[in-house]
Amino acid sequence: MSYWEDEDPLVASTIPDVERLKRAWRNEKAAPEIFQFQAELVQRAREQVQLQEDNITVMQAEGTDDLTLSLYQMDLDRTLFLLRSYLRTRLHKIEKYMIHISKTELWDRLSEHEQGFVKRCTDAFEDHLEQSVLSHLPYGYQSILKQSISSEEDDMVPEPKLDAFVFCRSKGTIGAFQLDETGEEIVDLVEDDLYVLRYKSIKALVETGQIDLV
Amino acid sequence: MYGRNAGKLLREVACSESGHLTSFNNILFDKVIQDCSEHHLQLQSLMRKIQDQGLDIQTTRNSDHFGAVIHHLSLIRNKRCLMAYMNHRLEIIRSLRWKVGRELPEEIQQKLTQSERDYFKNHSLALESYMSELDLELTVDMVPPKDPYIQVRVLEDIGDVLLSSAQTTLLRHSVHSLRRSDAEPYISQGLMEEFLG
Amino acid sequence: MAGQTDPDLSIFSSAEVEFLAENEVVEIVPNMRMEKLEMISGDFGPFLPQIVTKVPLWLAVALKKRGKCMIRLPEWMTVERLTKVLEAERESPREFQPLPFHYVEISRLLFDHARDDIPDIYMVRNLVEDIRDVRFHKVETGLETISGRTHAVKLKNLSAMEVNIVRPFVMRALQAFYKHDSPEMIPQPDVNGSKRQQVANHGPRRDLRPR
Repeated sequence: MSYWEDEDPLVASTIPDVERLKRAWRNEKAAPEIFQFQAELVQRAREQVQLQEDNITVMQAEGTDDLTLSLYQMDLDRTLFLLRSYLRTRLHKIEKYMIHISKTELWDRLSEHEQGFVKRCTDAFEDHLEQSVLSHLPYGYQSILKQSISSEEDDMVPEPKLDAFVFCRSKGTIGAFQLDETGEEIVDLVEDDLYVLRYKSIKALVETGQIDLV
Repeated sequence: MYGRNAGKLLREVACSESGHLTSFNNILFDKVIQDCSEHHLQLQSLMRKIQDQGLDIQTTRNSDHFGAVIHHLSLIRNKRCLMAYMNHRLEIIRSLRWKVGRELPEEIQQKLTQSERDYFKNHSLALESYMSELDLELTVDMVPPKDPYIQVRVLEDIGDVLLSSAQTTLLRHSVHSLRRSDAEPYISQGLMEEFLG
Repeated sequence: MAGQTDPDLSIFSSAEVEFLAENEVVEIVPNMRMEKLEMISGDFGPFLPQIVTKVPLWLAVALKKRGKCMIRLPEWMTVERLTKVLEAERESPREFQPLPFHYVEISRLLFDHARDDIPDIYMVRNLVEDIRDVRFHKVETGLETISGRTHAVKLKNLSAMEVNIVRPFVMRALQAFYKHDSPEMIPQPDVNGSKRQQVANHGPRRDLRPR
């Protein structure tokens, strides 16, 4: 029943940006890991917000009726909420997994400003833990990344749980889809049906826009 | 020893209401730090003992070796518990920036250590510079927007008032469409109610 | 969202689910004239008296509150249709009838704001409530079929609010099974399992099915 369920590339250009933003927001909220920052989409949405704010000012000056103005304001408020909540959802994930993000390819998924945020956050985080805990621990056990000097990997860094289960809805019929590497777990993905699956098995489908998280 | 104090520290977190901060438990925290040092001392003395006997520290598998392993693992467990305790508090502290704002009320401040207060300040600064670079305030619109206008029914005679839009007469039982922000004070005083349908 | 205490378990607040529902399209009959609205969320109108037009629910409710239109009852919300849905829900213990993804929120918004546009409102309201109850009960029984072999659960026709309610439980349960049940520990997962299921399952398709 939504406006634009169709992901056909021919009609993709007719999907309004606010609808794309809604999808990005929903997926970002429901996925355990952070997605690629939607730089162009955010840019366009902000331009539209700016344009509409200007329009409202002009309309006010022209004496447009209160009814029309309040409706335009509501449309604007809804878009602003989506935009802010999208950015906030990302910040929340960034705060939670900042060290992991800055050490992996996830780093490239952040906007330039988000990268700056990670750096400052990490400094504050490390300073605090260094001072309150780590410096009081015995030599060999003072790393924020490793449990002890004898750990080969960074085993103290929180990571997103990619095998968490998510609720998702297929936008088109994908057919038999393999969930695991061995091919023992196969699920038939039918258009519009809802599934609860492990995130990592359908990660690629979310990234290509074939499946939406709900 | 062997993680009992650390376990207590985490149980305290597990038992507290989610999202609520308890006072930093200095006494227990220091005990766990002390446990860590104690384990380390024991660990070192066992290793020295192995070396003093002229045994190879890498390959020896005697009781001293396994004793040392237990102290090592206990130390790691204590460290993980300490970090989990801190991290849990930090998550709540970060959420306060969104819920409460830049200035924390005294009663919350008292539950924090000096280092946590500094952390809150530095983290807030990181967030503020992000928002100013972006030129977008993010701490508003925390919940989906509602219609800026609301239909209300007046429950008591209020009389002539000046609302943001204009002079309005509010008589008992009359129904008005008002700005939500204008109506809310009257609603909370019980002078109006939201009128549906 | 940042600032939320337990983001892992309650991903969308009910206000957010309602926000999404408000984007669903309904038909209104305006009683005034208004030019086309060129909004960020799309172009709506022009609005002419007695001429049906389609708008998102939030816009319909805003106009309705200001006395500027009547909202046409969606077809699925008529007494006849809901009665059929309720019967079908009761007859098939394992299937959910197709209803709009946001049926709970849409109907609540209309009950709250467009009461006078709904003929037989008490019946409609009762029917929707009964349907909700029957479906919730089914969700609960369906969840009992989750087991260690469940690596995917299909929830055909489950609605947004229902998803939101079962999400914490389902996520935790599946996670726990996934963690504790290694495939080697379960004898003969597929062959026997599916046979036994068919014997036990005389109805049509299972909607919550371990696979």
